[in-house]
Amino acid sequence: MKRISKILQLIGKILLPIGLIAFLIFSIRVTQPDLGKLISSAPKAGDILSQLLNPQLTTRKAEKTSLSLTIPVPCGSVPNPEPATSGPRLSVDPVCGNPGDTLTLYGYDLPKNANVSLRWILPTGGLLSIRNAKTDANGGLNEKIEIRPITAAADGKAAQISIEISLPSGKLVASQTLKDVVDTMFVTIFMALIATTLGTIIAIPLSFMAASNLMRKGKVGTIVYYIVRSLLSLIRSYEALVLATIFAMIVGFGSPFAGVIALTITTAASLGKMFSESVESIDEGPIEAVTATGANRLQVIMYAVVPQITPDFLSFTIYHWDINVRISTVIGFVGGGGIGYFLSLRINTLQYNAAGTALLAIILVVWALDFLSSEVRKQMI
Amino acid sequence: MLKVEHLTKVYPGGTVALKDLSFEVEDGEFLVVIGLSGSGKSTLLRCINRLIDPTEGKITMDGADITAAKGAELRHIRRQIGMIFQHFNLVKRSSVMTNVLNGRLGYLNPWLSTMGIFPAEEKKRAQQALARLGIEDKVHSRADELSGGQQQRVGIARTLMQEPKLILADEPVASLDPVLAHSILQYLEQLNKDDKVTVICSLHYLDLIQRYATRVIGLKDGVKVFEGLPSEINRVKFKEIYGEEAQDIRATALE
Amino acid sequence: MAKKHKIFVQPLSNNHMTKTKTAPKWLAILLSAFLPGLGQAFQRRIRTGLYIFLAFATSLAVVFWDRGYTGAESSSWMIIPALIWLWNIFNVAFFPKASSALIPVFLWLILAYGVGAKVTEFNLPALFQNVGRSQTMIREILHPDFVQPLTEKRTGFSEIESPCSSALKAPNHSTGDVTVTILQPCANNGDIITIEGSGFWPNESVTVAWHIPIGPQAMSTTVMSDAQGNVKLDWQVLPIVYSNAPDPSIPQIHRVVLTQEHPSGGIELSSVGGYVLQGISETLGLAFLSTIVGALFAIPFGFLAARNLMTGSPIGTLFYFIIRTILNITRSIEALIMAIIFVIIVGLGPFPGMIALTIHTTAALGKLYSEVIEGIDAGPIEAIRATGANWLQVVRFAVIPQIVPSFTALTIYRWDINVRSSTIIGFVGGGGIGFFLWQWIILQDFRAVGSSFFAIAVVVIIMDFLSAQIRERLV
Repeated sequence: MKRISKILQLIGKILLPIGLIAFLIFSIRVTQPDLGKLISSAPKAGDILSQLLNPQLTTRKAEKTSLSLTIPVPCGSVPNPEPATSGPRLSVDPVCGNPGDTLTLYGYDLPKNANVSLRWILPTGGLLSIRNAKTDANGGLNEKIEIRPITAAADGKAAQISIEISLPSGKLVASQTLKDVVDTMFVTIFMALIATTLGTIIAIPLSFMAASNLMRKGKVGTIVYYIVRSLLSLIRSYEALVLATIFAMIVGFGSPFAGVIALTITTAASLGKMFSESVESIDEGPIEAVTATGANRLQVIMYAVVPQITPDFLSFTIYHWDINVRISTVIGFVGGGGIGYFLSLRINTLQYNAAGTALLAIILVVWALDFLSSEVRKQMI
Repeated sequence: MLKVEHLTKVYPGGTVALKDLSFEVEDGEFLVVIGLSGSGKSTLLRCINRLIDPTEGKITMDGADITAAKGAELRHIRRQIGMIFQHFNLVKRSSVMTNVLNGRLGYLNPWLSTMGIFPAEEKKRAQQALARLGIEDKVHSRADELSGGQQQRVGIARTLMQEPKLILADEPVASLDPVLAHSILQYLEQLNKDDKVTVICSLHYLDLIQRYATRVIGLKDGVKVFEGLPSEINRVKFKEIYGEEAQDIRATALE
Repeated sequence: MAKKHKIFVQPLSNNHMTKTKTAPKWLAILLSAFLPGLGQAFQRRIRTGLYIFLAFATSLAVVFWDRGYTGAESSSWMIIPALIWLWNIFNVAFFPKASSALIPVFLWLILAYGVGAKVTEFNLPALFQNVGRSQTMIREILHPDFVQPLTEKRTGFSEIESPCSSALKAPNHSTGDVTVTILQPCANNGDIITIEGSGFWPNESVTVAWHIPIGPQAMSTTVMSDAQGNVKLDWQVLPIVYSNAPDPSIPQIHRVVLTQEHPSGGIELSSVGGYVLQGISETLGLAFLSTIVGALFAIPFGFLAARNLMTGSPIGTLFYFIIRTILNITRSIEALIMAIIFVIIVGLGPFPGMIALTIHTTAALGKLYSEVIEGIDAGPIEAIRATGANWLQVVRFAVIPQIVPSFTALTIYRWDINVRSSTIIGFVGGGGIGFFLWQWIILQDFRAVGSSFFAIAVVVIIMDFLSAQIRERLV
C-alpha cells in the first residue's frame, strides 16, 4: 500500500507541472496576449492616462460680454452702420456684401487671448453660430466669414455679426462634472447601504436554515438544510453584475433599483453562508445551561444564541457593506445607475477628464470606507 | 424527593448509556455519582432535568412525573432544578449580570425578558446572589474576563436565581485546581446544609467524595454497581467501579 | 479564551470627574444649542458629543444634498436633523451622565433609508409588474440551449417554369440524394402542381419549399412520407412566388426543394453551445494567465511593501509608503473599470481583460504577500544565520519555507476570485463568457443566457471546491 501511494505521489509530482504548463499554453492561446499591440498603443494609452489624471474638479466662472455689428446683405438693403472709433469694437471689410462673398471681420482692443464665439444674428432673431476663435496677444481679431443666403435682410432688418467673449473672472466654482460625480456617488453609497441592509435581513433566517448544528436533527430539517445550502452556493457563483443585467431587463435599464436588487441577492447569499458558519461554531454549553433553568425556546435563542453570534454578524455585515460599495461602482456599467453608469457613459464618449473625476471619487470613497470598516471591525472582535 | 425507576437510555447510534437504573434520593441529601467517563453520569443528570429524553423508565420528583412532562409543565419542573456544568456554560460575551439573570428566565414574562427587560427586584436578587458568592464586584464584567473559579461561582449564582429544590452538578470541579475545587464544593455544601437544597453531583476524586458526600452511587457502563455511604468505598469497590487498569492511578487517591 | 471584546464592555463611564466638579448646566445647554455635541463634550462626554455632532452634521449634509439632487425647494427630511438637535439639548439638560446615543443613530438611519430608497428608485412592485415577461424569461433561462440532436439530411429538388412560356419547355430533372419529379413542366399563378418524390426515410415528415429564382423561399409546407419512403402532394402556386420578380409575366425557372431531417441518434453542440464553450475556455484561460502573471509581478511588490523589511532607512520608508499607496489606489479601482479603459486602448477581446485582471491581481496579491512577509517568524532567520549561512542561504532556508505555503494559498484563492471576475469582464468587451452573455442579453436570447448561466455556475462551483480543497491541504 505504501509503495502504491508513493508511486501515486511521484506521478502527481510529475503530472502537476506538466498539467500547469499545458494549461498555461492553452491560456496563452485563447487569450492571445499581444505585447506588440500594447507597446504600439502606448502613445494612445499615455494620452488617455494624462487626461484621466487631470480630473475636472473646478471651473472658473466665465464672464460673457458680446459685441455686434450690422452687415447689410445685399449692399444697400439697409444703411451701413456707423463705425465706432474707440473701446472694444468690430469692423468689417467690405462693410457690406452679397451672399457668397467673403468678409473679413476685425476686432480691436478686445480682451487678450480670450475665447470668442462668432455667430450671425439673423434678421428673424435666430442665431447661426459660425465658429470659435481666439483673440491675439494685442486683443485683436481677424476672421474671414462667408455670407450665407439666409443672412439676407428682410422687412428692413439686417443680419448682424455678433461675437461673444468669455473671460474667466477668476472665481473658482465646482464644475458640473464634480457635481454630477458627487450626486452619482451618493446614489452609489445609498445603493450599497440599502442592499446590505436588505441582504442582511434576508440572510439571517437563511443562515439558521443553513446551519448544520441546528438543522440536521430531523428529516425535514436535513432536507431544508441541503436545499438552502445548495441555493446559497448556486447564487454565490454569480457576480452581482450578472444578476443586475437580468433585473435591469425586468425593471428597466438605467434604474439603480435593478442594481440594488442584484446586490441584495448576492449579499444575502454570501452573508447567509458566512452567518451560517458563525452559527455552526457556537458553543452548545450556554444553550444547555439556559434550557436547564426552565427557559422557553425564544428565551434560549435570545440569551444563549444571540449574544454569541451578534459580534460576528455585525462584523461580517460591515465588511460586506464595504464590498458592496466597490461593486456598486461598477454595477452601473450594465444599466444599474450610480457612478458606474456615469463613468461608462463618459468613457464611451471619450470624455476622459470627466471619467478621471469619477475615478478619483471612487478611489477616495472606497479607500475611506475600507479604512472605516476595518477600524469598526477591529473595535468589535 | 426524587425517584428514578428502571431508567434506560439508548442513543440513536445504538450506544447504551444507562441500563435499567433505579434509585431514590431523600430530601437534603448530598448524593455523589462516581464512575469512569462514559459510564453514564452525565446522561443520568441530564435525564433528570430532561435535557436528554430517556428511552425507558420513569423519574418522579415529589410525585410529579418528569418523564411525561411537556412544554410549560416541563419548564416549570426545570426551573426547580438547578444545574452546574463542568465547563460552566456561561454566555461568554454577555455580562456577569445577564448570565446570572438568565437563571430567572423560567419565572419571568417571556415577552418582556426576550426584549431584555428585567424587573429591578430581579437585578437586586442577582446582586445578592453574587454577593453571597463573593464576586459582587464583577457584576459588569464580561463573563470571559473572569477566571475559571469565578466563572463557576457565576454558574452557581445563576442556579441560585432559580431558587431550586434540587441542584444537579455535572463534574463541577473537573476543570479547576484542587484549592478552587474545595471552595466550589463548600458553596454547594453550604446550600445543601443551610438552604436544604438536595444536591446530586458527579465527582472523580475520592478525597472530595469522602469529604462532601452523604451517599454515593457508582456507575459502570450505565449499570449501578455500588450504592452506599462514602465510608463504604474501599480499594476493592473503587477497583470495581473504575476497572483494573485504574487501580494504580487511583490507589494514591485512596490512601 | 479571555479576549477583550470592547463593544460589549459596559462603558466604565468617563463621568467620574463630573461628580467632583459639576459644570454649570445652563452653559452646557447653550453650547449644545449652538453646536450639537459641544455641551456633551463640555460635560466631559467627549465620545457621545462626537457621535451626536457627526450624526447631526452628516444628516444635515444628506438633507441638503437630497434637496439639491431632487431640486425641491424644501425637504420634509429636515425634521431629522431638527429632532437630533432637540434630542441633543434634551440629553444635555436631563441626562448629563448617559452615554447612549441610540436615538440619534436611529433617527439617522431613518433618514438614510428614506433618502436612499428614494434616490435608488426603490420600487418593489416594479419587479412584479411584468410578470408575464419575467415568466417567459425564466422559462427560457431554465431551458438552456446547449446541444441539439445530431441529424442526417436528405434533400433534392426539381425545377419548374412559372409562369408558362409559349416556347417549348425544358424537361424537368431532379438533383440531390432523392428523386423529385414535378408532373407539370410549368405552372401559372393559381395552378395546382403535383409533386412526387422517392427515396425518403419512411413515415417521417418532409419539408417542401418553393424557392424563387433569386434564392429565398417563397412558400413552404410539410408532408409525410409513406411506408416505402415515397411522397406525393398537390400544391397550388400562390401569387407570392412572383412578389420579388421585376415583371411577374416573364417566365422564370423556380425550384421546388424537398428536404427531410432524420435524427441519427446522438447529439452535437448547438451553435450557442459552441459559443458558450469558447467563452468559458476564454474565461478560464484569462483568469489563469492573469493570476500567474499578476502573482509574478506581485512578489517584488510584496517585498517592497513589507514594513519590517523596508522601514529601516529613510529611503526605504519612502519607498514603502509610495508602493503601499500605489497598491491601495489600484486595488480600489475594480478590474472592470480598468478593462473598459484597456478595451479602448488595445481593442476588443480577451487581451484587455487579461491586462485589467493582471493589474488588479498584482495590487491585491502584492498587499496580501506583504502581510505574509510582515508576519514571518524571526527565530529561524536568527538560527540559520547563527550557523554561519550567507544572505542567500538565509533567504533560501529561513524565509522561503515560511512564505511559500501562504503565497501559494493566497494565489489559488486569487485564482478563484479571478475566475469569477473573468465571467463579467466581457461585459465591457474584455473577452470570456461575459462577452457572449452581454450580447445575448441585449438580443434577449434567454435560452442562450440560460446556457451561459448554467456554464458559469458549473465552472465557478468546481473552482470554488477545488481551490478550497487545495488550500486546505496547503495550510
